[in-house]
Amino acid sequence: MKENLKRVLGLGLTLIMVLSLAACGGKAQTENVGNTTEGTTTEDSGKEGTVTESAEPTEKITINFSFDQGVGEPTQEIVDQFNASQDKIEVKTVLLPQDANVVHDDFVNKLATGDTSIDIMGLDVVYIAEFASAGWLADLGQYFDNTVTDTMIKGTVDAATYDGKLVAMPWFTNSSVLFYRKDVLEKLGAEVPTTYDGWMKLADNAVGINGIEYGADFQASQSEALVCNWVEYVWNHGGDIFDSNGKPVINSTQNVAATTTMKKLVDEYAPEGVTTYAETESEQVFKEGKCLFIRDWSGFWSSGQGEDSKVTGMIGATTLPIGEGGTEPHSCLGGLDLVVNTNISDTQKEAAAEFIRYMVSAETQKNMTLISSQPPVVKDVYKDAEILEKIPFYADFYSVIEGGKSRPQSPKYAKVSDAIQRHIHQALTGEVEIQKALDDLQAEVEEFSK
Amino acid sequence: MRKNIKKHNFMSSTEARDAWLMMAPALIVLLVIAVYPIIRTFWLSMHEMMLTDPSSGYPYIGFKNYFNILKDKKAIEAILFTLKFTATTVSFELIIGYAAALIMNKAFRGKGLVRAAILIPWAIPTSVSALMWKFIYNDQYGLFNDVLYRLGVIHSYKAWLSTSGGSFMALVITDVWKTAPYMALLILAGLQMISEDLYEAAKIDGAGVIKRFIYITLPIAKNTVIVALLFRTLDAFRVFDLISVMTGGANRTESIAVYSYKNLMKFLDFGYGSALAVLIFIVVFIISLIYMRFLGNKLTDMEG
Repeated sequence: MKENLKRVLGLGLTLIMVLSLAACGGKAQTENVGNTTEGTTTEDSGKEGTVTESAEPTEKITINFSFDQGVGEPTQEIVDQFNASQDKIEVKTVLLPQDANVVHDDFVNKLATGDTSIDIMGLDVVYIAEFASAGWLADLGQYFDNTVTDTMIKGTVDAATYDGKLVAMPWFTNSSVLFYRKDVLEKLGAEVPTTYDGWMKLADNAVGINGIEYGADFQASQSEALVCNWVEYVWNHGGDIFDSNGKPVINSTQNVAATTTMKKLVDEYAPEGVTTYAETESEQVFKEGKCLFIRDWSGFWSSGQGEDSKVTGMIGATTLPIGEGGTEPHSCLGGLDLVVNTNISDTQKEAAAEFIRYMVSAETQKNMTLISSQPPVVKDVYKDAEILEKIPFYADFYSVIEGGKSRPQSPKYAKVSDAIQRHIHQALTGEVEIQKALDDLQAEVEEFSK
Repeated sequence: MRKNIKKHNFMSSTEARDAWLMMAPALIVLLVIAVYPIIRTFWLSMHEMMLTDPSSGYPYIGFKNYFNILKDKKAIEAILFTLKFTATTVSFELIIGYAAALIMNKAFRGKGLVRAAILIPWAIPTSVSALMWKFIYNDQYGLFNDVLYRLGVIHSYKAWLSTSGGSFMALVITDVWKTAPYMALLILAGLQMISEDLYEAAKIDGAGVIKRFIYITLPIAKNTVIVALLFRTLDAFRVFDLISVMTGGANRTESIAVYSYKNLMKFLDFGYGSALAVLIFIVVFIISLIYMRFLGNKLTDMEG
């Protein structure tokens, strides 16, 4: 009897333990549904969404839209407006942390396993080629014709096209701008430079005026920001990373000249630590009033003139200069595209396309710009009177972003970017000769582009 | 007699069964969260698996990924850097930690407060302290520059993280700052096991401070020190967040963990990345075995 009792007790205890474990699991899951900002655990909330689809009497199609919370609030507002505007589709948002790497890893995990919990994603433009070459993105060409893409800035549409197919829809964009100190240029009676030589000459004269210590400021730490900076020197010296056939052309004479110009700015004009600067560090020095120029993303126009800045009201904006061999100035484009998960059903895809059409209409783009200050992709918005009144900077900015170019498209972009970061950083810090660094970079990119 | 034995066996067998039943949930959880990932990683490392290239069908390629590591200059560089980093930081941490533990072991006023305060660096999450130190090394506003400049060591502010020597030094200082306290506390625990009587007896026999340290403190605290060293060596070998935040692997400071992460999550090369991860696992395992060997010998020595 006693033995039996013991056994029953033992079994009972085990059962309780297992159950409590299961309960813990269940609890964790429901928590995830609420806490959708947690990157890796949002899957459940997505499934929840599709389950409710059949339960709702109106039988709306539910679309799950995932993006980073950097643009969370304004986007939610736009999505709410969309949901209120019609009764066929219900868009639910799934927020991810504001960290490009986390967002990337989350999407990769889902798409690589054929998950269908997410229908639309806000994807950083640099990953389009990688995702498209893996076959994860639905072809949007069947839903949208040129009338939609023709309204957009060309560089953004190019970046959304892979292998001739429209695999993404530009949502909002961003580009680098050359910001300068208006007060110093006025004092010197100088015009805004259009060449790198002009930049350096101006910088030589400006040191000492109104607290200027450095002629140049940009981002040259070993990071994605370095890639953006460097490709601009390359384009503006008439060089490129890949030719029209996709063959790497990295160690060209133009690119050597481009890198030489950049290194000269690093060595003689920029703060000593520029090779350790990402955006934040470079902005700090400029906001202190120590730099004549800073190359930065368009958002710096407002963030650079905040309360913590000593240069509020003294900033001007212009296009990047060109160097020898360059014809017109190009800026590096950033921003997010809307992409559709290829694994979802055709009805879901059509609903997703419907939502995307709404998101990129001139009207929504204008609304989004007004509430988020993210540069729109639709050209007309930049000329809109209401927009210009609220963001006068866009008058200058439009000419910059018109010349915007996307970073080299490659299915192995992550590797290309990593190789550029390492070799160019070594060249800029002087650890390796420029020619050798570019030769090594060319060899490395050739090796994995085979 | 016989009956007794039989009964005893029966008892112990049911007890054993109950014990297994009781442990089952824990064992299952361990299997799922610890053993399965290790086996899975090993299995992945035997395949060619680029997530962005599903058309390849992820074929089995045996140990090819491991041979590729030997041919990969970047991987070798990363391993060498990691070893150098581990050796340097752990030795500094041992010396500083030991010294701090000796001081804290003395009876003085505010001892409790000091012991708690010394743990603060260790309690700050690594990525936060890495960001903090990154700013300390800043070429424009950095505290590090300011202090050295005032002391007259340098004549102009320097960008410490822009050269490979400077980056290495900065990383070592930050890691030592963060983990020496941890080492100190572990060693302190060992020191407190030593009975005061031993010191008094030695004193009566005429042993000086140094002799007492060499013949009493060192041998008795040895095992604790080895355990502390084991923890720190394993941790240092897997260094990731510190480097990822402070230098991003620039200036030849890419550790093997950072390189492995890059291959896995950035290049999406799960086969090769897993092979690197398994390599880290093996090295860490070997390091543990070496320390265990030390520990085992010392234990038997003490018994003998």
